[in-house]
Amino acid sequence: MSNPLLEAKNLHKTYTLGRVQVPVLRGASFTLAQGEWVAILGSSGSGKSTLLHLLGLLDECDADSGGVWFDGNPVAKLKFSARNAYRNQSVGFVFQFYHLLPELSVLENALLPNMVNAGMGWATKRGPAQAHATELLGAFGLSHRLTHKPAELSGGERQRVAIARALANQPRVLLADEPTGNLDTQTGTEILDLIAAKHRKGLSIAMVTHDPAVAARADRVVKLVDGRVAL
Amino acid sequence: MYPVKLANRYLTSRVIPLIAVAAVALCVALVVIVVSVMSGFLDMLRASGRTLMGDVVISYPIRGIPWYEQLIDTIEKLPEAEAATPLIDTYGLVRMPYPEGAEKEVVTANVWGIVPSSFNRVTDFSNALYWKPPATVDAAAIMSPDDPRLALRENILNDGLNLIKSDTSEPGLVLGMHVSIANQRMQDGSYKPRNPQWFMPKQVVTLTLVPISAKGTIAEPRERVFPVVNEFKSGVYQIDKNRVMISLAEAQKLLRMDAGTLYDMQAPPNADGTLPVLGTSPAKVHKVLVRAKPGVTPDQLQTAVFAAYEKFAFDIAGDPSKVVMAPRVETVNILTWEQHLRDLIAPVEKEREMMRILFSIVYLVCAGLVLSIFWAIVQEKTRDVGILRSVGASRPGILWIFLQYGLVIGAIGGLFGVGLGWLVINKINWIHETIGQDAPAWSYTTSFLIAAASFIMCMRGAVTGVLLSTLLWLVLGITMILVGVGLLLHRGTLIWDPSVYYFATIPDQVDWFTAIITWFGAVIFSVLGASIPAAKAADIHPVRALRYE
Repeated sequence: MSNPLLEAKNLHKTYTLGRVQVPVLRGASFTLAQGEWVAILGSSGSGKSTLLHLLGLLDECDADSGGVWFDGNPVAKLKFSARNAYRNQSVGFVFQFYHLLPELSVLENALLPNMVNAGMGWATKRGPAQAHATELLGAFGLSHRLTHKPAELSGGERQRVAIARALANQPRVLLADEPTGNLDTQTGTEILDLIAAKHRKGLSIAMVTHDPAVAARADRVVKLVDGRVAL
Repeated sequence: MYPVKLANRYLTSRVIPLIAVAAVALCVALVVIVVSVMSGFLDMLRASGRTLMGDVVISYPIRGIPWYEQLIDTIEKLPEAEAATPLIDTYGLVRMPYPEGAEKEVVTANVWGIVPSSFNRVTDFSNALYWKPPATVDAAAIMSPDDPRLALRENILNDGLNLIKSDTSEPGLVLGMHVSIANQRMQDGSYKPRNPQWFMPKQVVTLTLVPISAKGTIAEPRERVFPVVNEFKSGVYQIDKNRVMISLAEAQKLLRMDAGTLYDMQAPPNADGTLPVLGTSPAKVHKVLVRAKPGVTPDQLQTAVFAAYEKFAFDIAGDPSKVVMAPRVETVNILTWEQHLRDLIAPVEKEREMMRILFSIVYLVCAGLVLSIFWAIVQEKTRDVGILRSVGASRPGILWIFLQYGLVIGAIGGLFGVGLGWLVINKINWIHETIGQDAPAWSYTTSFLIAAASFIMCMRGAVTGVLLSTLLWLVLGITMILVGVGLLLHRGTLIWDPSVYYFATIPDQVDWFTAIITWFGAVIFSVLGASIPAAKAADIHPVRALRYE
């Protein structure tokens, strides 16, 4: 296999809950090649979401030991601004509970990464970003919902907006945490179809799930048991 | 860009920012109203002090200043002085023409003996005279039809200015507006007699003064009947309540301070039994008031007057024709109007500064309110923070969202507060007059009607099982009942007592310096109040924020 796009080696992570130390990851390793779709399968508490958060730098405490590399570079050494840029441009997140901002419209939610990236230069970058987001939302069947607020959408529609937001800055990796976990089977299948379509166009995907049927859509499945990859 | 958009959305899509704005507005309005009234009070004291007694006062109480005409001539030659006027300042008894019967009311009064022509050049006496016919037809048109000024004779103003009743050429007396209890102040600030027969410019009063000798002993009191020729309103209640004015010559006569012959009490009597004459005992006054030329400060005038008085005393001492010497400059008080009224002004100044400091605590209350409101907002928005961090938002970006929130709440709340303060200050006398009267029937009737409607809505809420609605209507109903009962029992409350606060009206000018400082304070403390929860929000790890329940 060529050099992996995203790699985690021997990750250990322990959380402290009151006086109790809870080891979540105990030497987990993971690789994701360019253009690959990997499903991280495991039961509840196996550490799959923690692994995904460490891969996406959502947990700023980093791992207790081991490390994460993106495109061959260690992400643990990144400064705050570079970490923000990594979350903004290199990876995109999709969550089980969608996590849309309720005050913003569908289009504004999808444009959020662009707005964060543009900073004060939003006025000049707004046009192309809006065109891209509108096209993306149109492709997801949400053209008629652009000005609606998340509260006015169904679960499937909300997840489609979340995927559009995750892809707004055309990241190289999509990190999805149980993206169909809160949807009925048919809607879940539709969402997976959308993700699969993006994968076919070259998007690398790391997807956490506990559902073997969902994991079956991936190119490869990694099983996590008690914080370790099961061989 | 996103901090602006989100701050804007958070502000416009929730009720809680409105509560924060209202809290800030009330705090700012409180400071603006209190300090404006205090500042206005101080300004009124200062303004009235200067217009009532000129810029510099030379005083030598009891024994009086002799040769004062020469002193005034010397002073009026000063390039710093505009005019000077002599003054008798004493206390006396005034027997009023009321009530009916033999037992008339007697009031104590501060009696000023003045030379109207020069007094009017030093002070604003002519403007202070209240009774004058309307200047124009238009002015008459806006007066109430029963306003007594519409029926005044033409010469009443001149009579007041000259202190002479022109019909009879008798020396007259001018009363302060509140000396007579017969004058009733109307809501528009005008006056009319409670009973037309007690219209004072048609009455006579008896003034009794007590002469005091150079040794400080009391001589036999002297009394004289004066026709009241006008009344004056200085605006300072204590003066309008206590002061009467007569001509200087009449005051000097009554106090035995007029000119006379000075006999040698130590020498043996002449052959005809009379005492040898030493010379002339000049007329004396207690005070000389001096007005500065435009552009000359009271302090500059004070220095010049001090030198002029030294020269005057030296000249008198060197004049062999003058037996009576002028008091030495060290024994005479030469004070600016502000120094003269220091006992009055200094406590008010200190009180205002104390108020400023005490009410600065209100800023802390404001910051505390914003802090607690923002704490609630940030708690509610924790997951949003996680979402924003997951798409790459920086900590300063998150901080900026909530700081903007505080900035806008402080700025808008402060602006509303200044506006509310301005409104209350502008209408403060109307509000005070309204509070001072019985509540009108419509006010408590309306309250009871609203209460009844609220209880109906409350019962409807109870029937439909909506607890919040039921509770809110119940609270409104009880509140309106309490308001209605309060209004029904209200019998007028005098909050601003002119006998305590000197002025009949409450100062109604906004202290804009304080208003602007208070606004800035509101903005700064709102931002400070927002900064702690904002920093807390920015510090949350994205994954913890996303998992926040």
